Order: sequence, then structure tokens, then C-alpha cells
Amino acid sequence: MKNIRNFSIIAHIDHGKSTLADRLIQICNMVSDRQFKDQILDNMDIERERGITIKSQTFCLPYKAKDGKEYILNLVDTPGHVDFSYEVARALDSCEGALLLIDASQGIEAQTLANLFLAMESDLEIIPVINKIDLPSADPEAVALQIEEDLGLDGELIQQCSAKTGEGVDNILEAIVRYLPEPEGDPQEPLQALIFDANYDSFRGTVISCRIVNGRVKAGDTIVFMSNQAEYRVEEVGIFRLTREPVKELQAGEIGYILAGVKTVSDTRAGDTITLKQNPCSIALPDFKPIQQVVFSSIYPISTDDYEDLTAALEKLKLNDASLTFQKDSSSALGFGFRCGFLGLLHLEVVQERLEREFDIPIILTVPSVVYHFYLQDGTMKKIDNPAYFPDPAGIDRTEEPFIKATIHMPERYMGSVMNLCMERRGENTNYHYPMPGRIEFTCELPLAEVIYDFYDKLKSITQGYGSFDYELQDYRPSDLVKLDILVNGERVDALSQLVHRANSRARGLHACERLKEEIPRQMFKIAIQGAIGGTIISRTTISALRKDVTAKCYGGDISRKRKLLEKQKAGKKRMKTVGNVDIPQKAFLAVLKSDQG
Amino acid sequence: MKPDLDPAERPGSIYIHIPFCQNKCAYCAFNSYPAHHFDINGYLAALEKEIDAMSAHLLIRQKKIFSLFIGGGTPTIYSGRQLGRLIRSCRKLYHFTDRPEISVETNPNQIDMKTLIGLKEAGVNRLSIGIQSFAAPLLKRLSRTHTVEDGLKAIKLARNAGFDNINLDLMYGLPGQNVEDWRQTLETALTTSPEHLAIYELMVEKNTAFANLAAANKLELPNEDTIVHMEKMTLQFLQSAGFIRYEIANYARPGYECEHNINYWTNGTYLGLGAGAVSCLNNMRITNVSDPDQYRLLITNDKPPFAGVECLCRDARFRETVIMGLRMTGGVDMTDIESRFNLTLSDYYGSILQNFIARNLLEISGDHLRLTERSLPVANQILSELV
Ligand SMILES: Nc1nc2c(ncn2[C@@H]2O[C@H](COP(=O)(O)OP(=O)(O)OP(=O)(O)O)[C@@H](O)[C@H]2O)c(=O)[nH]1
Ligand code: SF4
Ligand SMILES: [Mg+2]
Repeated sequence: MKNIRNFSIIAHIDHGKSTLADRLIQICNMVSDRQFKDQILDNMDIERERGITIKSQTFCLPYKAKDGKEYILNLVDTPGHVDFSYEVARALDSCEGALLLIDASQGIEAQTLANLFLAMESDLEIIPVINKIDLPSADPEAVALQIEEDLGLDGELIQQCSAKTGEGVDNILEAIVRYLPEPEGDPQEPLQALIFDANYDSFRGTVISCRIVNGRVKAGDTIVFMSNQAEYRVEEVGIFRLTREPVKELQAGEIGYILAGVKTVSDTRAGDTITLKQNPCSIALPDFKPIQQVVFSSIYPISTDDYEDLTAALEKLKLNDASLTFQKDSSSALGFGFRCGFLGLLHLEVVQERLEREFDIPIILTVPSVVYHFYLQDGTMKKIDNPAYFPDPAGIDRTEEPFIKATIHMPERYMGSVMNLCMERRGENTNYHYPMPGRIEFTCELPLAEVIYDFYDKLKSITQGYGSFDYELQDYRPSDLVKLDILVNGERVDALSQLVHRANSRARGLHACERLKEEIPRQMFKIAIQGAIGGTIISRTTISALRKDVTAKCYGGDISRKRKLLEKQKAGKKRMKTVGNVDIPQKAFLAVLKSDQG
Repeated sequence: MKPDLDPAERPGSIYIHIPFCQNKCAYCAFNSYPAHHFDINGYLAALEKEIDAMSAHLLIRQKKIFSLFIGGGTPTIYSGRQLGRLIRSCRKLYHFTDRPEISVETNPNQIDMKTLIGLKEAGVNRLSIGIQSFAAPLLKRLSRTHTVEDGLKAIKLARNAGFDNINLDLMYGLPGQNVEDWRQTLETALTTSPEHLAIYELMVEKNTAFANLAAANKLELPNEDTIVHMEKMTLQFLQSAGFIRYEIANYARPGYECEHNINYWTNGTYLGLGAGAVSCLNNMRITNVSDPDQYRLLITNDKPPFAGVECLCRDARFRETVIMGLRMTGGVDMTDIESRFNLTLSDYYGSILQNFIARNLLEISGDHLRLTERSLPVANQILSELV
């Protein structure tokens, strides 16, 4: 059997995972200088624009080690942001080992711990790597101490490198072949392949990413998806490089893809096991642990004609984003759409952007919400994440909302302002300690709803980008919820309603009105925007009528240009939803949740 | 090519562009350049050559020409004799109608009696003068090179030379201008009894001196309330003086509407000659290169001076004709447009149109569809739905 090592690179956001992947790929000569660009595995437009990894990416590297043997290394670069932790979890399940990267100047941060725990749960061998040792502020000794004492990892295994300059990267390759275990599994056994990801190719159908645990698979075989017994004939198998590279066969221990002309999008599901029709395996591999969506919002096509397309788009996107959930929803203002669950606000924004970019469907997302518990007079409990289902207030006995435990790492000097922010957000039980001189690890229990409401933005701005943040769901605690409605010219826009704590309702009502005033362009008539709870108006603003919008002159020479300007204006309008007579831009729906600097 | 788009019996017009001025005004985004940088006689020769060459063009050969317009820039940078020769060449080479409208643009300090007489003799019957303002400080701020007196004098000379169809270009919404300033400019303009007024709000266009000032926050324009006030006042003032606002920016005494420009707003046929000029022939829109030197070189080397061609499909051209037509207060002639494009407005736009009519943003009068008093100031809101 081949000498194989499968490993993920995991770390807190920005600690240099993708940059290290670049160096590994270059050392193994898998990319020409002409093709190379920084963070080459971040190939989605959104990833490059935002400078972060969103999707895990596998790359198969041939490596000749110092022991003279040829190895096949499957590297999986993973995202660092907490909203994409499901990508990390699934990547880890396809590997035997992980490189845990730690920025030599930042030390351990929130996601360092969170991802380490994930790797340990999957029973992986871990090599700690201290990165960015080229930075003047690097303090590798202090970080090494943290690794041993706070993480309890073996100090002997620690590697030091600069992914930027390439220093120390050779040693990492050697450490990978030396310390990480070879995959187990038997090519002679019946096929068991774990689907850990997929995406849709309009020519070839679903591209199934899988880890072959036992057995082997090649073109011509008939495969069976174990969860639904769907059968397909394999057209091609291959490995991941800069592009897909077909190979003759994939066998136990390897990571690769299967193309089998799977056009029914819903047949493929991450976590399912693939086997062969002839000689099937007896049991499926353990499925992935389901992930809990924490933020919910509804997606509507701006044009109702796009509903069918949106349905297909969501199904295809879900293939490639296993952490997204969706189910049918409807709104009196927006028509038919989907209630979707996300892992956080960034995840939600990424989904929105991908739907628009990859599927070209202009959409609107309603104000995001968490899941609340409503205990009713009749003794029942209702879980509600959608303001549309807010129960009759007279029938509510008590309500509860989810609390999280937030862990914030930051330089000491920001402690005061971060503490204030948490207090403003109804924080409880704060605690802190110093993992490294000058750095604080601060924990605080916060209502999740307060966190999705512009908490990230605020934290980032008050710590000038140095604060890092992670959270875990803790429990449900008593709350006092009301439904804040927004009326546009007297008409309630259900898509703008939100559930808020009574104590904050006035402030949130004002904020929503102000933000809408900024986002809704002036129109030919005056627009009144009101915030209301029950029948009581608690806030209001008005947008004055547009009084002039006319092109001064237009003659033969510039007819085309003037027409194009009007066409541009028209295209802008297409991205707005007309509610009553008022055109509300897409951005406005999320804006009510965002901070003022937006 | 659908003949119904451009019935042969429908006459067309000719526009000639002179891209030179004495200097460049601070707000100007026209295709014009300070004359002293260029070989302006060479340019004139090139124009003569293009006039000659295009007269043989299939699409123009059998067309009747009802209007010739020499614009700029400042055409009167040339002498009356030079311009006269240009006009005569056109009249010789193209088939004009019996009494064509022949217009020339000029600026107050670029016109003298000799030029006026030359133009008159060549058949020019409409003069358009770039007055812009009758307030000395504003003229300065616009970096116009003429004075208030130059403006008044130019009009008087033109009258004395026998011009009985004079347009004045005036601008409002200027930096530091208030409603009263504007009223005075209008009043002064009326003392000269013009037949036609083209009245523009100042637009800060890209790549102008004003755009730079605006970017540096150094351009203080009147606020929206003031502008709206100025517009209301203009309309009342000119209507009571006997003018009809026949297009968003154009006012005329009855019978003095500019035929040449109406041809643009009805999306008719026209031939554009000179640097940056645009021709619209059949359903093709051809744009000449805008650089005068490049234009001259192409022509002297017997190359076509075209920079680009736009070909619109029938639907797009129909929509364009609708939005252009709605700029005129009389609106679009529905019968005419339907026969030209074989498309019916009400079928084509369906509920959008009905909705606008119901909201009093469009109205039907006879067989014309037009903007309403209410929607004229916000025309783009409507046009952008119909485009
Ligand atoms: N000085 C220095 N900078 C580095 C090093 N490694 C990465 N960086 C920089 O750190 C930033 C983040 O690097 P990435 O490789 O995108 O980090 P990542 O861990 O993949 O980030 P996410 O995928 O968003 O979690 C980039 O600006 C890199 O250039 C290093 O060894 N030294
Ligand atoms: S005179 Fe007219 S064309 Fe010439 S620069 Fe001034 S505004 Fe422009
Ligand atoms: Mg990355």
C-alpha cells in the first residue's frame, strides 16, 4: 500500500494556515511560478476579497522524504473563523493528523482551543506549529510554554516556521511523515467511502469529495449511497490538485473525488457512506455530528419569478455548504421564500453573496433571529426563531432566550472598553486571566441575540482588530421578549420585524428607523417609518419626498450615454423590493441589525 | 434592417461639430478644446472632406434634409466666410427641403457684424448664443471669458444683422447663486426679447474643473430647495412672458421650437460630422473619434473617422424613442411610434404604464403620452422604469 498521510491545517483565524499551505505546495513543486498567487487555495471570490478562508480545500502532494521513500500527502486547508467550524470538523474526519498553527506574536486564541478540541474529539495526532517567527514581535518561547502548559501538548513535537519566508517548512514536512500515523483501512475490504463535501458542476453533475476508508473504487463501478440507496455508475475518480486530476482508482486511505453523473442534487449528503453495488459493506461509517444553527433568517427572491431558481440554487449551495439549513417560508410582504439556519452572521452574509454571485439571483434576507423559548399559559413550550410566529402576548407565561459563553482574547489595554461593551449587552459572570504577559483571556456570559446584533463589528472596532472572539452555547435563561414591528407608510413589513428584549426595545426601534432612513432612497412621496410594539408606536422617522431627479439636457451626441444612465438606475431598482409603494433596497433588511458605521 | 424604423420619406438633419473654444469653461464637459493648441484650418479642410464623402452614403443619399446645425465648442472661432463655405457645401451636396432650419452656435465675445452677415448670407436663420448668465460674478465663476455687456451687445448685433430667431443658453443652480440672482438674469434675458431659451441646471460633470473643486469640497452649490424654487419660478415667469416649455430644458415662443432638437427627441435620422459627432442612421448610431487631431488625420488619410457603432434591436430602440420623446412636454406621438416600430405602448409596457397613469405620473392627451406637471421634476424616476 502507498505511503499516505492525511492531515488538516487548523488554527485561529489569520494565523497563517493558507499561507503555510502555499509553501507546502510550492516545496512539493505542485504549482508553477506563473500559476502561483498568495493563498492559492482561497479560490472563491469572496475568500479573496475578504482575505479569509471559507471552504476547506484538499490538495494532494507527492513528497520524497529524507528517508528516501515517496509519500502522498493530502493536505486540507481549513477556515479559522468560528462561523465555518463545521468545515473544520468535516475536514478533520477525513484525516489522521492535524497541524495546529499558532501565531508566534498572538499566542493561543479562541479558535486555537476550539479547533484543537475538535481535532481531539476526532482522535487525531496533533503537531503544534508556531508560525510567523519572522515577525519582530514574535515570542516563540512564550508560545511554546503555552502549548505545553495550557494545551497539554508534547513540547518535543513543536515545529517553528515562517510560512511567509518558508523558514522551517521543510522540517514540518518531515514531521508529518514521521509523527502522523498512516491511515488504517484495507483495500481488499468492501468499499466504504465517507462523503465529507460536494459541489455541483453543471456539466458533470455532483462532484463528491470523499475519504476512502476501506476498499477501492474506479470508473465503471456502480456505487450506492447508503442513506437512500441511490445507485450511480462511476464515470471518473481522481484527486485534488489545482484542478481535479483523474486517476485510475482510489483506494483505502486516500482522499479524492468521484464523478458519477449525479444530477439529483439531493442524493448526495455530507456524512453519508458510499459503497459498491457488487460486494457492499455491511454498515455505514459514523455520520457527522449534526451542527446546531444559531441564527435564522428568511431568504426571498426579489422577483417572485425567481422562486424556482432560488429553490434549485439553495439545494446546490447546500451540497457545498453542509451547515446551511432551509425550509419553506412565506411572508405577506415578500411572498414565498425559505427560512434558513446559519452558524453566525458572517455565514449568513457569505450565503447571501454566494447565492447572488454563483447563481445570479437577487435576494432579500429578513432580520436575523435566534431561537427563543416561549412557555405558554396552556403549559406548552414553543421554540420560535421567526417573529412571524410570535404568540399572542396574552397567552405567554414566560420566555427564555439562549445565552452563550463568550471567550475574548485581546491585549490587556482593551479590557476596560470590552468589559463595557459586554455590560451594555446584558453580560453576566465575567471572568479573566492572563495566558501570556500583556494578553487577557476574558470570558463572559451573554445573550446570543446581543451577539448577533453588531457585536463582532463593535468588538473589532474597539480592540482595533486585536480582539478575537469565540463562543459556545450555554443555556436558556429567563427573558422578557416583545415583538418590534416596522411600519413603512403605515404598512407593517413583516420581513423587518424582530424579537427584542423589552428593556432594549425603544433603543432598537430608534436604531432600526434611523438605519432604514439611511438605506431607503428618497422616493416620489414622503415615507413614514415607524417602530411599533403591539399597537404602540415607539419610534418614527420620515424620509422626505424626492423633489427632483431629471437630466438637465439631452441632445443627439449623448442620447446613448443618457440612456445608459437610466438603465443603470433601472438595474438599481431591480435590487429593491417594492412593499406597498415603497422600494426598499436589499441592504436595508440586514442594516437594522448592523452598527451605525455599517 | 427594418424599413419601418426609418421611413425614407421622413427627412433627417445634419449636425456639424466645431470642437474649439477660446478657452475651456470650468463646468464644460463638451467635446471642446482651447483653439490655440490645434490646426483649426486643417480641421476645417477635413470637415469639408467628410461632408463630401458622407453625401454619397447610401443611407443619406436619398434623404431630405430639413435642418443643419453647426454647434460646438464655438463655431464662430471661424470667420463668416469660412462657415459660409461649409454651409454652402452642405447645401450643394445634400438634398435640403425648401426652407431648412439652419442654426449656428456662438459665444458673446466670439461674434462680430462681419461674421453675422456672412452667416446670414449663407442662409443661417437661427442663432444660438451662449449667454449662461447676466450676473458678472457668476460669469467669472464659470470662467466665461465674456462680460454681461458682451452678452447684451451680441444679441443687439444679431438683431441688427437681421436674425429673427435667437436662442439664449442660460444656466441656473450656479455656485453662490440665489433665487433673486436667477430672476434678474431671466429678466435681463427677456428685455432682449429672445424667441427661444435653453435653460439648464448646472451639472457637475466628470473631468471638469468643477468636479475637482467639488471633490475638494470647494464648490458650494445651491441646495435642493433653492433649485426647486428656481425651477418653479422659471416656469411661471417664462409662461407669463408667453413662452411655452416644450421640452424639459427648452422654452420657445409659439412657432419657434427648435426643429433640429425635436429630431433628436423623436429619435429621428441625423448625420453628425466632425470630431465626436454622432450619426443616427437607420437603427445604427455611429460616433466619430472625439480628438480633433485624430479626426483630421483619419480623414486626410482617407480612413473613416468612426470610433464606435451602436446597433440597437427594435425593442431597445422603441424604448429609447419613448424615453426621449417623454422629455418633450407634448410627449410621444403614440400613433407615430406604433407605426414606426409596430409595437403598441400599452401592450408593451402593460401594467407599468397603467400604474403610472393611475398615479398621475403619466397622462394621455389625444394620441400623445406625456409626463405630468407632477412628474416632470422627477422625470428620471419614470423614464428609468420605461428604458
Ligand atoms: N509575517 C508573517 N506573516 C504571515 C505568516 N504567515 C501568514 N502571514 C500573514 O498572515 C495573514 C493571514 O494569513 P492566511 O494564510 O490567510 O491565514 P489563515 O490562517 O489561512 O486565515 P483564515 O483562513 O481566514 O483563517 C496574511 O496577511 C499572511 O500574509 C508568517 O509566517 N509571517
Ligand atoms: S464655450 Fe461652451 S463649449 Fe466652449 S468651453 Fe465653454 S462651455 Fe464648453
Ligand atoms: Mg486561510
